[in-house]
Amino acid sequence: MKKIVILLALLLCTTPVFAATTSNIAKETEIQTRIDSVAVKLLNHNKITKRIIFTYDKKEKKKALSTDKALTKRQVIIYDGLYQHIQTDDELAAMLAREIATAMKSYDGSFGGWIDSAQVALGSKKFETVSDKRAVDYLVNAGYNPLAVIIFINKTCPQKRHDTFSRHNLTSKRLARVYEYITYKYPQYLENNEYINNEYYQNFLLTSVENRKKLAEKIKAKATKDIDYE
Amino acid sequence: MNKLFATFLSLAFLTLPTYGIEMAPIPEVEAIETEEMVTEEVKDLPYNFESTYKVPIKLGIITPITTKGETLYEGQVLQFKVLQDTYCKRKTFLKKGTIINGRIETLISTGMNGFPAEIIISNFEIPGAKPSQLVDTYTKKGQNRCYIVYPIKWALTIIPFVGSLTNLIKGGHAKIKAKDEIVIYYYPEWK
Repeated sequence: MKKIVILLALLLCTTPVFAATTSNIAKETEIQTRIDSVAVKLLNHNKITKRIIFTYDKKEKKKALSTDKALTKRQVIIYDGLYQHIQTDDELAAMLAREIATAMKSYDGSFGGWIDSAQVALGSKKFETVSDKRAVDYLVNAGYNPLAVIIFINKTCPQKRHDTFSRHNLTSKRLARVYEYITYKYPQYLENNEYINNEYYQNFLLTSVENRKKLAEKIKAKATKDIDYE
Repeated sequence: MNKLFATFLSLAFLTLPTYGIEMAPIPEVEAIETEEMVTEEVKDLPYNFESTYKVPIKLGIITPITTKGETLYEGQVLQFKVLQDTYCKRKTFLKKGTIINGRIETLISTGMNGFPAEIIISNFEIPGAKPSQLVDTYTKKGQNRCYIVYPIKWALTIIPFVGSLTNLIKGGHAKIKAKDEIVIYYYPEWK
């Protein structure tokens, strides 16, 4: 009798596990569907004639020494650690658009894009800015608000002390460049700013006072030279 | 032992089909919902890429440009002229010499290790064509010197620090000359 009770208890224990797994699968499917929906909208509205796929990964972040699959396989991996920062579709589009820009570079150039991919990987500082700017264009073309790029970067990228010997730009510089890009190319989004009451956007405004001042001076002087942002 | 086996079997029979019944309808319902959603989305889509009929439009820049000297900026409007008469379904669509505006989308400056500069032009304003009917992104790169830089760098690696000197070699500037032919595509049957 004891054995029967133990067996029954064991079998009952399996039920919540099964339920939890089903719930997780449903959640992951929902996330994957959301990602695919936004991604395909970006691809179609921008008339991107190359194939790129998008995969949600439960892992927190990419392994340090693994290759960027956006460059090698044209497969954009969205890690859960980053996805957790995403609130609106605009922000999701901002994240995906950056990756699309990177994947698109892998289609250019000699040896099936191999050389250009290597250059993007090695010179990531330069192409980081390019991806940010292209992401803004992709968002505008697909009907998303490009200011979401600022919010996405502001939320997810840490501020290092310096970038002289780094393969990445200072986040404050990236944000300032994106803001400048939007100011010149898509000023309508700043004039009718939907994000003015967004706390994350306000935080960007607060932390970018000096850089925005430099931009205001550039506009006033009608200069074309690149600003040395902080 | 027999009792144990019988209990296990009966429990398995009782519980497993229940899971089966619970699980089975879910994909069906989801499938129906997805089908409905897709049908709904297709109706409202602002584009339809079904047609493969395209008209190439050949353009040439009026004033040559270069990334050298920081005279260009993103968002700058450039003027192009149509290089030859363009026909769409046996009717003249664009006459030779028609002036067309295009916009600099992104500029990539030259970089160390032979990275070339790049000009990306898009948003061409073609009379009689909607932007959604154009595949109109044109990219012009400068000379990619990494083909020289990397072999030299690797060859010099045996002497400490010398290989790193090749980092200082910059890529070529991107230039669009008057004689360069820019081809964009017009898909008249797209929405």
